[in-house]
Amino acid sequence: MGHVSLVKSTESANAPPVTVNRRTRVTAVLMALIGVFTIVIFGLGSVARAHSQLTFNPISVIHAPWRIGTLTVATRWTDVALGLIILALATEMYLRRPRRAVMLRFGVVAIIFLFALLFWVARSPGPSPISFVNITSILVGSSATMMVLVFGALSGVMCERSGVVNIAIEGQFIGGAFFGSLLASTTDNFFYAAIGGAVIGGLIGLLLAFFALRYRSDQIIVGVVLVTMIAGLSSYLNLQVLTPFPNFNTGNLAPNLPIPLLSKIPVLGPVLFNQSGFFYLMIVLVAVVSFALFKTRYGLHVRAVGEHPRAAATVGINVIRVRYINVVLGGAIAGVGGAAFMATQGEFQVGYTSGLGYIALAALIFGRWRPSGAVVASVIFGLSVYLSYNLVTYQVPISIYFLEMFPYLVTIGVVAGLIGRVRAPAADGQPYQRD
Amino acid sequence: MSDVAAAQPRRSLWARYTTSSPIVVTFYALVLGLIVGAVIISTTTPAVLDAWRALFHSWNGLPHAINITFDNVGAAYRAMFTGSIVDPQTFWHSLLSGKGWPNTLTPISETFTYATPLIIVSIGVGIAFQTGLFNIGANGQAVIGGIAGAAFGSMVHMPTVLHLPLTLAAGIAGGMICGAVPGLLKAYTGAHEVIVTLMFNYVTYAFLLFAVLSTPFQQPGQQNDIGRTMDPSAILAPLFGTTSGLRVSYGVVVAALVVVFAWWLIDRSSLGFDFRVTGANPSAARASGINAKTIIVTVFLISGGLAGLAGVVQVASTTHYIDGGFLIGEAGIGFTAITVALLGRNRPFGIVWASLLFAALGVGGRNMQAITGIPLDLATVIQSAIVLFVATPVLVKEIFRLRNAPTIGVQLATTGWGT
Repeated sequence: MGHVSLVKSTESANAPPVTVNRRTRVTAVLMALIGVFTIVIFGLGSVARAHSQLTFNPISVIHAPWRIGTLTVATRWTDVALGLIILALATEMYLRRPRRAVMLRFGVVAIIFLFALLFWVARSPGPSPISFVNITSILVGSSATMMVLVFGALSGVMCERSGVVNIAIEGQFIGGAFFGSLLASTTDNFFYAAIGGAVIGGLIGLLLAFFALRYRSDQIIVGVVLVTMIAGLSSYLNLQVLTPFPNFNTGNLAPNLPIPLLSKIPVLGPVLFNQSGFFYLMIVLVAVVSFALFKTRYGLHVRAVGEHPRAAATVGINVIRVRYINVVLGGAIAGVGGAAFMATQGEFQVGYTSGLGYIALAALIFGRWRPSGAVVASVIFGLSVYLSYNLVTYQVPISIYFLEMFPYLVTIGVVAGLIGRVRAPAADGQPYQRD
Repeated sequence: MSDVAAAQPRRSLWARYTTSSPIVVTFYALVLGLIVGAVIISTTTPAVLDAWRALFHSWNGLPHAINITFDNVGAAYRAMFTGSIVDPQTFWHSLLSGKGWPNTLTPISETFTYATPLIIVSIGVGIAFQTGLFNIGANGQAVIGGIAGAAFGSMVHMPTVLHLPLTLAAGIAGGMICGAVPGLLKAYTGAHEVIVTLMFNYVTYAFLLFAVLSTPFQQPGQQNDIGRTMDPSAILAPLFGTTSGLRVSYGVVVAALVVVFAWWLIDRSSLGFDFRVTGANPSAARASGINAKTIIVTVFLISGGLAGLAGVVQVASTTHYIDGGFLIGEAGIGFTAITVALLGRNRPFGIVWASLLFAALGVGGRNMQAITGIPLDLATVIQSAIVLFVATPVLVKEIFRLRNAPTIGVQLATTGWGT
């Protein structure tokens, strides 16, 4: 297109190795600030005799033949200790300037910070009527959000690794949730819901691929318009189809399938091994996508197409076909994610994915376009999203809305190079024209 | 169109409508969009489906099925037209009797009310597009502009002469601050503006909820997410007086000023020339000494400022207060603006027509829902379909077998975030 990106010019000017080190230090300083905040506000800010109680027993005890006693800790000193750990990580980063795992360290800091926040929120002589933190139920609750984010981010990995920007993840979530609800309600079988979600997500992916690859339309515009269209269509169909026929949208939740023995492990059991089928499917998909992308010939083709389509075409790879396959498969994965969301949240409602597709996009970027990174990012973002919705119950005088901003702000920091460095596949979003 | 006509002066009318030019493609995209809407109506209306299902038993019902399909689709689109432009019946009644004009003019007034902020925000998005930048965060900027304007209009008290301009200025400033972030980040760190603005939208939504629930700004005596009501001195009054009952406000004047400003900026000023050069060919722009960083930041300041102005115009001309649902979601004007800018080909006057069209679809959709019971979200679907076709002129050309004309097509706005 003769279209030199403006990004290129500014980035190549800022990219010598010196900058890399400076940016690592910027990250370290940010982490240190978080540590100081933790110590001062959460630690020293709470009265000395305040204590927080940690409980571990899940709310439904059927699959938990174990009890763990309540752990009571002094809020002030626990949070000071957590803040010191953050400070130690920051110092290590500042001094050693590691080249790898910068964002992983930041993620660890973020999780520690969130837990410090939780302890502070639930301190006993404090504003909240609830004076305990149930670690297990928080992990179980956030695992649902995390699962949906992983599906979305994996979809992004599939599409963007082949060079097509999939900004329509949100639309695929909505479509998957809608048809998932329709099929789950009529067949009472969540397997069909998953299939339906995959089909509709794949179709949306096909539409995206059709416009992006055949007509070389702007992928971001097509993605945005598709989201608008599907959001409108879902709202339309909700009023035309689901509202008059309530048994099309019963809102049953997917049953949990406990894995024998493993589900009885304290804490980890309920979180990892007593989940719906969607959760296990997600784990399998992460492994499969990772393997396919990095260990197979096809994955090599995909990455070649995403980095340098012209070179890939020279060695005989069918660029357009690879992109079609990946975008449709990616769409299908996001569609399953939508069905999974429905299966954990209940009946379809208009707008109830509330931008989760864009957090998945954020997780994709924070996870550096890798399945494993996407999982780590989804854990962090899932936890923060879950807490921002659920801290209301603690009636604390802090604004949960700033917690809601967290995933987005982190992602802005990431793309701006303030937190680690990311690099998108080189041909990501560039239309490809056969010679 | 004029270029085409000048080049080939003796073409027949038929040739003119079968050769692709931007206007022809846009027209056919509109037709296709309405066809998509018609298909959706017919496949989801029980009466229509029943009529077609009867054909499984006997073919005799075919005329009836076709008839009922056209009836339903026609009723929907007729309701859209009468709800957004004018209802011929009341129009003739008013014309003959001289009475009931406010009632007759309400649909078109509503369309203009809806179009006013849309024009302003779309022009901002269009200016960014022309510079090769994608401001997907116009909605968030409009939200911040709305908050700033509503806060200034309700919490500061002064006479109208000062209050109204300063309220609008507060909105512009809010949008500019919000637009400066992606601009500066793009210019100085290379962060892709699409990601930053997309994420920033959600930051602003969270901030909106925080603002309308915070003590200084929340409506006194309210527990819900409703902000304070603006002073009468800060609002954009109805153009024809409050007694007329027509909501169209002095915001129209603001929008007209913005259109003239944008036309001057893009077509007449040297800054606008730099914008267009940067958008058309960044390397040429750099070679000719245009400072890319300054351009990026300036464009985002202007684009964000206009979005903020749109936000405050929206508040000051309609509800006069904001709530937690202000512009939220995919239906927010900032998102519609992307599609409007594309449809209007980023030109100020094109955007005016596109905004009026989209506003008419939206306003008419409400009337359609009231009369026929077909949900107004159909309007969103039609709008998106139109833009999908406008963004893909080759597809339109293939469908209608248009002959090739000199140049057509929407220029690619962005190239993704690969480097």
